[in-house]
Amino acid sequence: MIPNPLALIAEITHRCPLHCVYCSNPLEMAAVNSELSTAHWIDVFQQAGKLGMLHAHFTGGEPLARPDLTELIAGARAAGLYTNLITSGLGLAETRLQALVDAGLDHIQLSFQDSREDSGNWIAGAKAHAHKIELSRLIRRHKIAFTVNLVIHRQNIDHLDEMIAFIEQLAPERMEIAHTQYYGWALQNRAALLPTREQLNNAVEAVAAADKRLAGRIRVDFVVPDYYARFPKACMGGWGRRLMLINPAGKVLPCHAAEVIPNLEFENVREQTLEYIWQQSPSFQRFRGEEWMPEPCRSCDQRAQDFGGCRCQALLLTGNAEATDPACSLAPAHHIIEAALAEANSTATVSQPTTASSFVQLQQRAENLWSYRTNPE
Amino acid sequence: MAPPEDASQPRLATGCRWGAETKTGSEERVILFPEGAIKLQGTGRQVLERCDGLRNFAEIIGELQAQFGDADPAKIRADISQFLEQLRHKRIVDY
Repeated sequence: MIPNPLALIAEITHRCPLHCVYCSNPLEMAAVNSELSTAHWIDVFQQAGKLGMLHAHFTGGEPLARPDLTELIAGARAAGLYTNLITSGLGLAETRLQALVDAGLDHIQLSFQDSREDSGNWIAGAKAHAHKIELSRLIRRHKIAFTVNLVIHRQNIDHLDEMIAFIEQLAPERMEIAHTQYYGWALQNRAALLPTREQLNNAVEAVAAADKRLAGRIRVDFVVPDYYARFPKACMGGWGRRLMLINPAGKVLPCHAAEVIPNLEFENVREQTLEYIWQQSPSFQRFRGEEWMPEPCRSCDQRAQDFGGCRCQALLLTGNAEATDPACSLAPAHHIIEAALAEANSTATVSQPTTASSFVQLQQRAENLWSYRTNPE
Repeated sequence: MAPPEDASQPRLATGCRWGAETKTGSEERVILFPEGAIKLQGTGRQVLERCDGLRNFAEIIGELQAQFGDADPAKIRADISQFLEQLRHKRIVDY
């Protein structure tokens, strides 16, 4: 018997007003006219509650781009789920925030791109920073849990201390300092984002000091970059072990990036129940257990901790979804990671923020450094 | 970070709440928080069910010492104090 899934990741739209260069959305996004209806989502939340799931994480794109978000939050709460909104904050002001809280929203995770306005707007490809600060003050006037998320990478990691101090004065319960993970847009922009070893070591120290200083006031969570780790991450807690992700068009995936894996058919909530998909679909069974594992995973002591690492990363970097995650120091293809690290460490250069009067101009001015995330049709 | 004082009133932190009881009479209950959940049974559950923001720490300790009369009261106090301190570090409990 397969244990129940714990959480639903509801990717309710791929539309987003931001263009973050490290976005983990797939390069091929779900079209606007393919999005699930309100009633469909509410039915999905009912199914999730009955399956024993505990959390619904609303993400995107930008979830606020859906005008029915309040109804969806209410629907998830009515199904007994804890509701978490992962947002850029664009599209949120007092009236709508109050409506979301009234609908039962438990927690809001607001992203920042930097502590500095010019750099933040440059990374996001949008003038978003000032609004986010204003919104943080508003959030603190409501009785709702508040997390600030900040993605770090080569271009902003050098002033991590300053960013932590910035987050501290926004007074969240929790801060999440997350290294970029190299999927989707971030993989495409990896050369501009991958930090040097020295940058990483400094960041580890800064986070440890902050955790000690802020203990009991602000919880500090840190997502480490797997490129520098000895063993790979237990991606999503293992394939089909804890989570189900539903994309805007209703496709059910074991993780954000799984669609890149060829020869794998993913079911859709329009045609199948979550229970069937979790327990019986070939896609969720594909990398469960240890049968699929190659060596060195199959006989490795770590296999019950990391499950062989990330299938999508294996596919993206080696062309084979069954390979040991190249992030593992024991992987036959680890040289791919080593080559990326050698390149990242060959120079310590970082770029200066670029400003522009329009997004198109910004795209043009930054095209030698990175490409901005664009929007679905 | 300091352990709870006798007069402090431990409570679940903002955004943390009890999940629905799945089966009536079940030993186990969960506390939901932003990125996860903890399953509680036995003493852990009894401690957190008393963290209602009304009882103070001394009262909580007193109730549990009375309930576990044959255990060393000093050890009960030390264990509960450490338990709440760990949960505060995770921002699941405030006091």
